[in-house]
Amino acid sequence: MENAQQVYSVSDFQAVCNQIMETAFTGVIVEGEVASYKINQGKYVFFDLKDAQSSVGCFMMVYGLRFPIEDGMRVRVRAVPKLTNWGKFSLTVQAIAPVGEGSIKKSLEMLKKKLTAEGLFDPAKKRPLPDKIAKIGVISSTQAAGYADFCKILNERWGGLTVLTAHTQVQGMVAADQIIRALNYFNERGEVDVIAVIRGGGSADDLAVFNDEALVRAIAASKIPVITGIGHEVDESLCDLAADVVASTPSNAAQMLTKDKRAIAENVRADIKRINNLLNTKIDEITEANRQEIVRVYQEIVRKIDSVKNEIAGQKKILDQLNPERVLERGYALIRGDIKLGNDISITMSKQEIEAKITNIRER
Amino acid sequence: MAKSISDKIDELKTGVEWFYSDDFKLEDASGKYKTMTELAKEIEKDLAELKNEIKVIEEDFSK
Repeated sequence: MENAQQVYSVSDFQAVCNQIMETAFTGVIVEGEVASYKINQGKYVFFDLKDAQSSVGCFMMVYGLRFPIEDGMRVRVRAVPKLTNWGKFSLTVQAIAPVGEGSIKKSLEMLKKKLTAEGLFDPAKKRPLPDKIAKIGVISSTQAAGYADFCKILNERWGGLTVLTAHTQVQGMVAADQIIRALNYFNERGEVDVIAVIRGGGSADDLAVFNDEALVRAIAASKIPVITGIGHEVDESLCDLAADVVASTPSNAAQMLTKDKRAIAENVRADIKRINNLLNTKIDEITEANRQEIVRVYQEIVRKIDSVKNEIAGQKKILDQLNPERVLERGYALIRGDIKLGNDISITMSKQEIEAKITNIRER
Repeated sequence: MAKSISDKIDELKTGVEWFYSDDFKLEDASGKYKTMTELAKEIEKDLAELKNEIKVIEEDFSK
């Protein structure tokens, strides 16, 4: 019987077991509650993952921790099962994330407190969006509805932009690393003016990736300004807090990144209408001013004519008074001839002409 | 080099401001108005023809 079967050394048996488990579970995902959580020497993380009936020990390196963990928290781990040299079965954890509203919230609060203390969310560090945007780096899943909304609004509002999209997963345990790689890609090349991290709405679990510590740090460290358009208006992730500009939704991010060409076209038409009206008003004003000037000049001419007329009338009156006929009308007479006794003279009166002879001359 | 839409919009803005400025002269206004109208038409045409170029990067970010 013994001859027919393979005999292993203990080490070989342990190695074969590990080989079989690695083949069978290339990356098993296990969900459970954390217990006996501890970090040794600042590098090694140990905890048990348990449910009502069972418990399994877990091990991971501290740098793999992307969310703060504590006892009682419900988590999901991606891990490789392993039989240790001491014959103890454990899970070597590759990735861990809290699941369930309570655990996510608790982890989020702990991380938020830590990163706030480090100044990652300091408003003074926020950069405005560039005035002129020609190239946008988008990080999103090209299959996501949020990405489609973003592109639709972008195309409706403006054109002439170059949009470079880095297709990544936007949920799940591998999403954060993919998004970080995409952020690094854009930052290393430096060819885009702004980076937009886009994801539509989802459950707290779906959006949990945007509270990943490494991702939050990568956004805060980005040399290129980052705008986030993640989830719905009510959702606020730590990535939002770390970003330079926060849009409430993917559509809103597209709005914030672009001018509205329809509004610009309307403004252009309004400008032309405005200067047309202004020009007409100015022409009317000048025409009215000219009309008033003509009236004023006409009135001045009439006044001067009246003045001359009055002057002529005055002169005429004086002339009239000097007219000899007027003197005769007042009863005086004009005598012509040599005034000597016996001479004939002619006397002109207002109504009569008289021929007379001088019969007497008396000195007065 | 062809003017960008932004340049044309800036030019239109400056042109409109001239009508409200002390430099306004009625004898120049008609010509300026015609220029501004043509510029506005050009801007509207440019806006209508504007298209974005959206490219998905070939890089595999899952690795």
